[in-house]
Amino acid sequence: MTKDKFDVLIIGAGAYGLSCAWWMAKRRAGARILVVDEGEFASGASGRNGAGFRMQWGLDLNIRLCQESTRFFETAAEQLDYPRGIELKQGGYLVLAHSEKALATLKGSLEVQHRYGVPSELLNPDDCVKMVPALGRNRLVGGTFCGKDGTISPFLLLDSLLKACRREKVDVRYGTRVEKLERNGGGFRAHVNTGSIEADKILLCTDWAVPELLASLGLNLPVKSLPKEAIVTVPCTPRVKPILISLEHHISVNQVSRGSIVFVVSRAREGKEIASTPDFLAFAAPKIIDLLPGVADVPVLRTWGGVSSLTPDMQPILGETEIEGLYVAVSSFRGLMTSPAVGRIMSALILENDTNDPVLTKLSPRRFRTGELIVEPLLNQE
Amino acid sequence: MQRAIAIIGAGPAGMAAAVEAVRRGCRVTLVDEGPRPGGQIYRQAHPSLAGGEFAEPAELARKRRLIAAFQAVIDRIDYRAEATVYAVFPNGEIHLAQGDRTEVLRPDAMIIATGVREQAIPFPGWTLPGVMFAGGAQAMLKAQRVLPGRNAVIAGCGPLPLVVAAQLLRAGGRIAALASLRSLRTMLRHPGSLWSGRHILREGLRYERTVRRAGVLQLTGYVPVRAIGGEHLEAVALARIDAEGRVVPGTEQRIACDLLAINYGFVANSELVAMTGAEMRRDPLIGGWLPVIDTFGRTSVPGVFAAGDGAGLRGALVAECDGTIVGAAASVPSTAVGGATLQAELAETVARRARHLDFQQAVRATLRLPLGLWRLVTDETVVCRCENVRFGEIREALASGHRSLNAVKRNVRSGMGWCGGRTCLHAIAALAELATGEAPTEMMTPRPMARPVPFAAIARQKKAAAE
Repeated sequence: MTKDKFDVLIIGAGAYGLSCAWWMAKRRAGARILVVDEGEFASGASGRNGAGFRMQWGLDLNIRLCQESTRFFETAAEQLDYPRGIELKQGGYLVLAHSEKALATLKGSLEVQHRYGVPSELLNPDDCVKMVPALGRNRLVGGTFCGKDGTISPFLLLDSLLKACRREKVDVRYGTRVEKLERNGGGFRAHVNTGSIEADKILLCTDWAVPELLASLGLNLPVKSLPKEAIVTVPCTPRVKPILISLEHHISVNQVSRGSIVFVVSRAREGKEIASTPDFLAFAAPKIIDLLPGVADVPVLRTWGGVSSLTPDMQPILGETEIEGLYVAVSSFRGLMTSPAVGRIMSALILENDTNDPVLTKLSPRRFRTGELIVEPLLNQE
Repeated sequence: MQRAIAIIGAGPAGMAAAVEAVRRGCRVTLVDEGPRPGGQIYRQAHPSLAGGEFAEPAELARKRRLIAAFQAVIDRIDYRAEATVYAVFPNGEIHLAQGDRTEVLRPDAMIIATGVREQAIPFPGWTLPGVMFAGGAQAMLKAQRVLPGRNAVIAGCGPLPLVVAAQLLRAGGRIAALASLRSLRTMLRHPGSLWSGRHILREGLRYERTVRRAGVLQLTGYVPVRAIGGEHLEAVALARIDAEGRVVPGTEQRIACDLLAINYGFVANSELVAMTGAEMRRDPLIGGWLPVIDTFGRTSVPGVFAAGDGAGLRGALVAECDGTIVGAAASVPSTAVGGATLQAELAETVARRARHLDFQQAVRATLRLPLGLWRLVTDETVVCRCENVRFGEIREALASGHRSLNAVKRNVRSGMGWCGGRTCLHAIAALAELATGEAPTEMMTPRPMARPVPFAAIARQKKAAAE
């Protein structure tokens, strides 16, 4: 049994956990920071998502988080001293509407995006098909496009963060599962499968699994788990230059630089199951062909599943809980693309008690008890 | 009600299982990738290709007998040639692609008899055109009656290199050298086993005679360490290997050739059985990751059976017995499998299987690879051919603490490509063991698809009629 003491214990070594750890180590040299993860490298949601990042959102905070994060991705190779790069590709995101109602949502969101200087534009169906000839015209009424949106490799972002963290003397331990948290004087004690860990402060970055850990301290947070499934094809000729999202098909499409096309197809489900479900492909294939007839002949290489978090307003939850020194960062299924900004904001909050960022006021865990929730409209979730 | 059995694979195990299940009154669906039944070992040429077979008459007789038994029941089974199972699920569903459509089967029991693929130890130059698997070269001869090269070097371990060398000679080819890691005399250390397999051994001796009479250069204890050539293979460097698998300095010989056919034993096609959630174990000598099975081929998942080489390398004769036993066990209600009636009915086949398995002990002795042999893989050697991943990258990933096959994959993409890791994962497991002293304990998570299938075919899916 080992007994360790740290300034900050971060639970979860996904994009949020590692980014928060790296920012903390940069902010305060010598801080004793431990990141634990029950799985192995990139085995959770950050290693299972569709790999995209976009600034096209309908709510100002989501836009701001993603603007800042996009700037980070553009220079990540230098900032994280990772010469291999993170396979950044800024081929744009095309958000599609297949009904007048969806088009109205896109137009409303465009106004908010322009207020923040996001270079997005409205396209008619002809423009959309011109940009992506593989696209079908069934019910298509238009879309919005932002050329600065794009993709990174989740694996390389995680590996670059992991290596940068370890260079900054952050202790990152995989295969370490936190069974229970308890208060210990002014700090905390975490019971893990390898012993116990003491820390002054704790940051929970386990996304959909946050409620389980909070329950051991008598707290609750309205976070649900949402299983999703993805498909990757064999590499094929370039057919889908920008990333596509169809709000009505509940599909996102991303042709990565190697030529494979990644589809994330959402279904209304609940649970924590990451295994591929037997009926998924037959459910997804007709929708995919309806959206993109030009990929019908492309062979599917593999499918996989992942679990993301779902909050009542579909916005992240960032901040301190009712227990002093206990913090949460829940992504609401956009962890990878907001992780740089969230890392910076959370590190300032936890190490310097900097609460000035408007993001923290609006996205705090307290909002579910007070105030009215505003739901993010630009989602392809069923 | 008639019991529905689905069999995957039409090699010796699959064919024998089908014959037995039909005999017991089951409704059988047999799915196979090949155009004709037979699998790898009993591969049949297209009927239009007349001409000789180059295998031993006794072996050909075994092949004809089993295929004839299968042909006798073929009208009573739903036989799907050129069909691919791309996924199986823990709920018992089998998803297959055939032509331009897909279909879901929901049998009462499934028998997975997917056989083995060949194992390679990558070495510098192994991706040059002209380097292929020995069994692949043999398949060209069997199915297309084509000589894969004019002047061949055959190398590896176990009996297959000898057999392929002899068959290529009989087909008119020239063998520049036959290099074997171990002498087949290693089998003499298992005299009892040899007696059980004396008939097979006799066939082996005839192949040996073919090779000897042709005056082929035979190098025992030698392996290919480098394939040399520009656009195509021109020569191979062979060198002697010591007991730890290290190259003995000063023993290198360069031999001109246009074909290098290698075989370092076999890897089980166990991805489908693993997808059912069956408990797996690893035994590199007999195929790597294998389902844990009992005498009747039962896996840890009810209704899922495994038979033949895919459940652990055992040879065609054992596979055929396996097929009969597993075919019988899958045909009766699960409560009857351990019962006295079935035991009595199968006693003779079980005893015969045990005799054939005994001979396999001797064969296995010739297949044992010293772990150090994997040092043939240099940093520059491409290990994952689909994603073009060199060993140097894999070694770095291992060194930075990514130990499991899943973690290595997430780091360098090995196993993410077209073949789904079928070619490289056994190599990465061995290389990880060599580099870190610990073999990976888990296989890379097998996921659909076992084979790529177009969206259009998936969208045209036929569901099984409700039972």
